[in-house]
Amino acid sequence: MEELEPTTKRRRNLTPYLLISPALLFLAAFFAYPMFQGLILAVYDDEAVLPLLAEPSLSGERVGEVPPGTRVTIFAQQGNQLDGEITADLLTEQWFFVTGDDPDGAAVEGWAPETRVRVRDEAADGTPLGGTIRPKLGENADPLTPLRGEPSERADVVAELDERAPVAIGEIAVLEVWFDVEAVTDDGTVTAGWAPSRFVRAFESGEEGVVDRGTDGQFTSRFIEKMLDDRFFGPAWRTTLLLMVIIIPLQFALAIIMALVIHARPKGTSGFLYVFSLPMGMSDLAVGILFFSIFTSSGLLNSVLDAFGLIGDTPPTYLGADTRNWIIAAIVLAELWRATSIVMVIVVSGLQAIPDETLEAAELFGASYWQRVRYIILPLLKPSLQVALILRTILAFQVFAVVIALGGGEIVTVLANETYRQYFELRDNNVASAYAVFILLLSLASSIFYLRAVRTENEGAAS
Amino acid sequence: MAEIRIENVTKVFGDHVAVDRANLVIEDQEFLVLLGPSGCGKTTLLRSIAGLGMADAGRIMIGDRDVTYMRPGERKISMVFQSYAIFPHMTVRENIGFGLKMNGAPDGEIKKNVDEAAELLHIEQLLDRRPSDMSGGQRQRVAVARALAMKAEVLLMDEPLSNLDALLRLEMRAELKRLLREVEATTIYVTHDQIEALSMGDRIAVMKDGVIQQVDDPSTVYAEPTNRFVGSFIGNPPMNFLDGVVHRVDGAVSVGIGGNEITPAAALANAVAAYDGKPITVGIRAENMRALETETEGAVPVRVEVAEPLGSQNLLTVSIGDNRLKVSTHPTFPAEAGDTLWIQFPPEQIRWIDPQTEKVLTGGVVAA
Repeated sequence: MEELEPTTKRRRNLTPYLLISPALLFLAAFFAYPMFQGLILAVYDDEAVLPLLAEPSLSGERVGEVPPGTRVTIFAQQGNQLDGEITADLLTEQWFFVTGDDPDGAAVEGWAPETRVRVRDEAADGTPLGGTIRPKLGENADPLTPLRGEPSERADVVAELDERAPVAIGEIAVLEVWFDVEAVTDDGTVTAGWAPSRFVRAFESGEEGVVDRGTDGQFTSRFIEKMLDDRFFGPAWRTTLLLMVIIIPLQFALAIIMALVIHARPKGTSGFLYVFSLPMGMSDLAVGILFFSIFTSSGLLNSVLDAFGLIGDTPPTYLGADTRNWIIAAIVLAELWRATSIVMVIVVSGLQAIPDETLEAAELFGASYWQRVRYIILPLLKPSLQVALILRTILAFQVFAVVIALGGGEIVTVLANETYRQYFELRDNNVASAYAVFILLLSLASSIFYLRAVRTENEGAAS
Repeated sequence: MAEIRIENVTKVFGDHVAVDRANLVIEDQEFLVLLGPSGCGKTTLLRSIAGLGMADAGRIMIGDRDVTYMRPGERKISMVFQSYAIFPHMTVRENIGFGLKMNGAPDGEIKKNVDEAAELLHIEQLLDRRPSDMSGGQRQRVAVARALAMKAEVLLMDEPLSNLDALLRLEMRAELKRLLREVEATTIYVTHDQIEALSMGDRIAVMKDGVIQQVDDPSTVYAEPTNRFVGSFIGNPPMNFLDGVVHRVDGAVSVGIGGNEITPAAALANAVAAYDGKPITVGIRAENMRALETETEGAVPVRVEVAEPLGSQNLLTVSIGDNRLKVSTHPTFPAEAGDTLWIQFPPEQIRWIDPQTEKVLTGGVVAA
C-alpha cells in the first residue's frame, strides 16, 4: 500500500495550505460559525411544533403537528412502562411497588406513584428501599392512598394505605405519560394524536390543555414578522436611512475638501492631517457624550448663547422629547465630526497615489484647478471613494452609541438600538437576530450596489 | 514667432542651487537639446520654462511675452513628460483632445486636431482604447500626440525616450526627429543621453551643476568642446585626457607626455607657450589618432593593454607613461594585448586644456 511516489511525478506543494489553515480555522470558529448561528436564530424556531403521533410511543407514526400555545382537548391519557431506557424528551413518572400494613393492620402490596411516597431509606447507590406514605394536603382530602395492581392511575385499586404508613419499596417502574389530544389550529384544521405529557400542560379538569412547547425545529418567518410588526421598526430604519442620507454626502464633500487642502500643502498646514484625524482616536460613545454636553439645556451651546445675551431666562431644550429634529441635527453634527476623518484619510491616500506628473500635465494643458478636480482628480479617486463609501455606509447602518447618548433610544431610535433593545430588554434573541440580519442584508446590498455603480472605468483592463 | 529667451534664470531648492544664472536663446522653430548628467538642473530649467516650478530669479520670454510668473496653462506651451503622464481613466482620444477641450476649443476642431495628431504618430487604431492596456511605446506615442494636438508654438520634452527599451528608443528617436521637422514648434528637449542629443538637436546646450557649459550645434559640441567636462560627457568613448608638461625645445614649444614630445599646431602655439614649465592637459578623441604598426617619425610608442573588437571598429586601450587612452582603429588593424604600436597625434585634433580651470584653450586670448 505504502508506495513511494515516482520521482518524475510533480509533488504537490502543501506548504501554503498548511500555513493558511490556522487562518481558515479561526475564520470558521470565530466568524463563520457564530454568523451562521446568528442567522439561524432569526429564521429557525427550534421549538416550532409538537408532533402528534399515532400511538403513545416515540416510534409511533407522525400524524400531525401543532405549534406551542394551541388549545387541545385531552381525550385520554396513558402511562406506558418504559423498557428501562429513559429518553430525554419524555415525561417520566416513577411508580414504586410497596408493601405495608393497611389501616386494618392487614399486610397489603401494590403500586403507588413516587409522588405519594416519602423515601426515608436508601441503599448506598441511592436506590429507595423504604419510606412512608405522604399525607394529603387539604381539609377534606381523603387520607387514604390507593395501591394499584398495575403501575397506572387507571389500574384497579387493590388496597389502601393510611397517611404516614411505613412501607417497604420493592420494584420500581418508570412510566411515560401520554395524552391523546385533538387540536384545532388557527386555520380550522383538526389534528389529533398522542403527545407526551411533558409538552402539554393539562388544565385542572384534565379534559383540556395547551401545548406548552414544541420539540421539532422549523424554519419560520415568525421572528421577521414580529420584527416588521414591532412599533419601533419603522422609526428605526427610517431614522437610520435619514441619518445616512444626510451624513454621507456632507461627509464626503467635507472629506474631499479636507483631503485637497492637505494635498495642496499650503504653507503652515503640515499639521492639518493630524488635526483632521484627531476624532478618529475617540470612541463613538465619548463623542456622543461630548456632543450631549454641548447640546444639553445647561450645556456649552446655551452657555455661549447666554453669554451673548441671546436667550432669555429659560434656556431652550435641544435634546427633549418634543425636539426630535434638534436631536437629529445634533447626531448629524456629532457623526460628521467623528467619522469624516476616516473618509478623509482614505481620500488622502488615494490622492497620494495620483502621480504628480499627471496633475502637472493637466495644469500644463490648461486645466484650471476646478477642471483638474473635475476631470482628473475625482475620476482617479473613484476606487478610493468606493472603498470609503462602502465603509461609511456599513458603519452608518451600525450607528448606535452617538444616537443613544444624544437621543436616549426612545425619541430617536435606530436599527442597532432595536437589536440591542430586543436582546437585552425584551430578551428575545430571535427578533434581535432578525434585526441584526436585516442590518447585515442592508450592508451587503449597499456594498454590492456601490461595487457595481461606482465601477472604475479601467477595471478589467489593468491586467 | 516663438523665440524663447532665458535670462539669468536661477532656481534654488533650500541650499542647493539647481539652476545658476542660465542664459539661453532658442530661436523660433529651433530644436534645442538640453543635455547633462542626472541632477545637473536641466529638468529644473525645463520645468521653469513650463511653469511647473517658478524661477526664483531671472526672466523667461516666449516671443514678446514675459511668462516668468505665468501659470503653466497660460503659457501656450505643450509638453511630453518623462512618465508620459497620460490620464489613465480617459480614452486615447480624450487624452489627446484634453488640452484643446480645457482651452475651450469647439468639438469640430478638437476632433480634427486629434485625428491629425493620431495620424502623425500612427495611432489612429488606438483612439478608442484606454492607456491601461497599451505598451510603453504606444503610451509614448499618445503622450507625443497629446502634446502635438495643442499646436502650441513651444514644445517641451522631458526625457521622453528614457522609459523605452533600447530598440524602441532607436526607432522613436528617428521618428521624433522626422515629426519635429514637420511640426512648426520651438522645441526644447531634455535628455541625459548624449547620442540622442547629437543625433536629434539643431543645437545642444550642455549643463553641469546648474550651469550651462556650452551651446553649439552637435558637431561643434563634439569636436570643439569648451571645457574638459563637455569633452568627457559627449562621445562614446569620451575624449581622452593626458597629462603633459609644456617646455621649450630649441626655442619651439613642445609638450612632454610620458617621455615623448608633441608639438602643438601653429595656431595654438602661443597659447600653449604661456604654460611654459607648467602642466597642461591634452584632450583628443579616440578616432582622431592614427595607430601604426611600425615606428614612424613623430609617432609615440604605446603598449596595448586591452583590445576590444566592436564590429565597426577596434577599440584599443593603450598606455603612455601613467596615462591610459582609448584609440579606435579600423577593424582589420592587427593589435592584441601586450603589443607595442605607434600612435600619431595630429596637432590640429588636439585640444589643450588648462588643468586648473579645465577650459579648452582657444587661439586668441590667453587666460590670465
